[in-house]
Amino acid sequence: MSLEDNQLTPETVNNWDDARKLLRNWRDGNIRMSKETLDLWTSLIAPSINKLGDEKWLVYEQVFLAALDCHVLTIAADCIAALKSQFPDSSRVKKLFGMHYEAIQGYDKAIDIYESILSGDETNAHVRKRIISCLKSQNKVKEYVSELNEYLKLFQADHEAWLELCDAYLNDMDFSKAAFCLEELILMYPHNHVYHQRYADIKYTQGNYDLAKSYYSYSLKLNPNNVRSLYGLLLTTANLKSSQKSKEGVDNAKLNAWAREQLDSKYQTVKADQNLMDSVNNLFQSLSISKAEKA
Amino acid sequence: MAELLLDSKIRFWVFLPLMAITFLVGIIKHYLFIFMSNDKIVEKQQLTDSQALLRSRLVRENGKYIPKESFMMRKNYFTNEETGFFVKQKRQNTVKNPMSDPGAMTEMLKGNFLNMIPMVVIGGWINWAYAGFLCTKVPFPLTFRFKPMLQKDVNLVSLDASWVSSASWYIINLFGLRSMYNLVLGENNAADQTKAMQDQMSGAALSMPDDISKAFKAENESLTITHHNWALKGVEQTFN
Amino acid sequence: MPSNVSKKDDFIPLSESAVRYNHFLLDYCQTSFSALSGCTAGILGLTGLYGFLFYFVVSIMTSLFMAIYLGNNTSKYFLSTQTLFTSTIWSGLQTYLLFWTFLYGMVHVY
Repeated sequence: MSLEDNQLTPETVNNWDDARKLLRNWRDGNIRMSKETLDLWTSLIAPSINKLGDEKWLVYEQVFLAALDCHVLTIAADCIAALKSQFPDSSRVKKLFGMHYEAIQGYDKAIDIYESILSGDETNAHVRKRIISCLKSQNKVKEYVSELNEYLKLFQADHEAWLELCDAYLNDMDFSKAAFCLEELILMYPHNHVYHQRYADIKYTQGNYDLAKSYYSYSLKLNPNNVRSLYGLLLTTANLKSSQKSKEGVDNAKLNAWAREQLDSKYQTVKADQNLMDSVNNLFQSLSISKAEKA
Repeated sequence: MAELLLDSKIRFWVFLPLMAITFLVGIIKHYLFIFMSNDKIVEKQQLTDSQALLRSRLVRENGKYIPKESFMMRKNYFTNEETGFFVKQKRQNTVKNPMSDPGAMTEMLKGNFLNMIPMVVIGGWINWAYAGFLCTKVPFPLTFRFKPMLQKDVNLVSLDASWVSSASWYIINLFGLRSMYNLVLGENNAADQTKAMQDQMSGAALSMPDDISKAFKAENESLTITHHNWALKGVEQTFN
Repeated sequence: MPSNVSKKDDFIPLSESAVRYNHFLLDYCQTSFSALSGCTAGILGLTGLYGFLFYFVVSIMTSLFMAIYLGNNTSKYFLSTQTLFTSTIWSGLQTYLLFWTFLYGMVHVY
């Protein structure tokens, strides 16, 4: 009995064909369900690995990465041995070796391996990213940030790298640089409400309430259910209305009230219990915003 | 309409095989292309340049979503007369003459080889092997002028121009099967010469045109004339 | 068919891949229809002008069916309703020609 693609889940799989299909779906969709992968591997696939034919190398790689994620080094060692015997000269397999060393915290050895791969092929983006993540795991923040910057000089349009850099700068509290990274992300995905809201967060932290207000509003326009943006709008307008001329102050007060209403209705739809509503109301009171009606 | 009866042997040995040949050759072209493009190694400089162009295009298209100062900063980075990225690169890049650059030349040769030569070779073979007889009748009336083109070796003056030789059947096949390739091979197949290649993969090898400085110059100009029209102006008024 | 994000006031957030996929599906339908109608025309023995007329009729009918299927939501799936009608007519014509000639030859000439 073979199931349809959309019925396949780790729970419903109980034969070899379905397991193979599920693994292939995860591979194609870049889904990283490491524990489930390992379970499927041990229970269904490993006993009859050769039935897979050429697909087995891809499966080996997939299971290897899953094993590293769950730190089951025995399975990882099996997989890498099989891959190495089949593809002794491949840089892809070498990279997996490097990742193995990373998993057991042999970072120096790992970086050596990666550098040797890079000397052969300078444009290998994956390997560069592995080096950067090695530095991150070792907590070498300065080198990590400078490596990431070097990488971005080469690969200017890599959105994951910009995301990483933004996080790094936020950890360092370097808000202007983090804002720059987030602007790059907005340029790449201008209709993603999360990026706009994050950018507004940074601008708010820097004290630029006007810009923050605009970006929160835009993020709400893209997705009216973004509660964080609603809160952001609430706080920015609260801050603005006290420090501005009367006309704009009125506009801000209106926006403030509107945001307040939206938040109330959201809490109501979730049927928040009384304790939560009380604490929320106290919060608003301390911000000197008008009291909400009881839910 | 003169109704000629053609030998059924023609049907088996010419009509159908020609269709099959055209189709299969297209598919072979596609797989060969994939096979050959696996060996492509991209130079670091090329990759950086293509990524920079990508980013500059994003700045141009989506710049209206970021604040004016940020946009100006990026525009300046790319187009400043002394230190701008595109301007600086222009001085360092030698023009990649396709004759002198072996890498680009092989690329061009491969592309030409794969697209033109099968068509020419098979066309020629058909003209040689299947010459001297009629292949089929096209269902619509054609004028007299088409006769020498479509009826290669049959010199009958009174014959309807709708009766065509194998060469023209091959050409009809060639055109008609193009959209069929899309069904069978999915998008981005190499058998269809008329589709342009997609090029929005970041981090992957982009086959740049030979003259990168020209591309830079064009990008430079288009970025210089782009103005910042902030999309978020007055966005908060649009509520309630 | 995956759709675009809904229209907002003066800008339309688009999902590029969705637009492309929809266009691909449209192409697929159009090609299949052209092929089938070409076969029909060949078997029926339509010639000349009638043949071309038949193709255009079928092509317009296809687009109409699509439009009716989508109802009022065409803007959600395609950039403009015009693309729904005109984008694939030329390549569809070539496929139609091929199958028309093929079956006409098979049925009437041999």
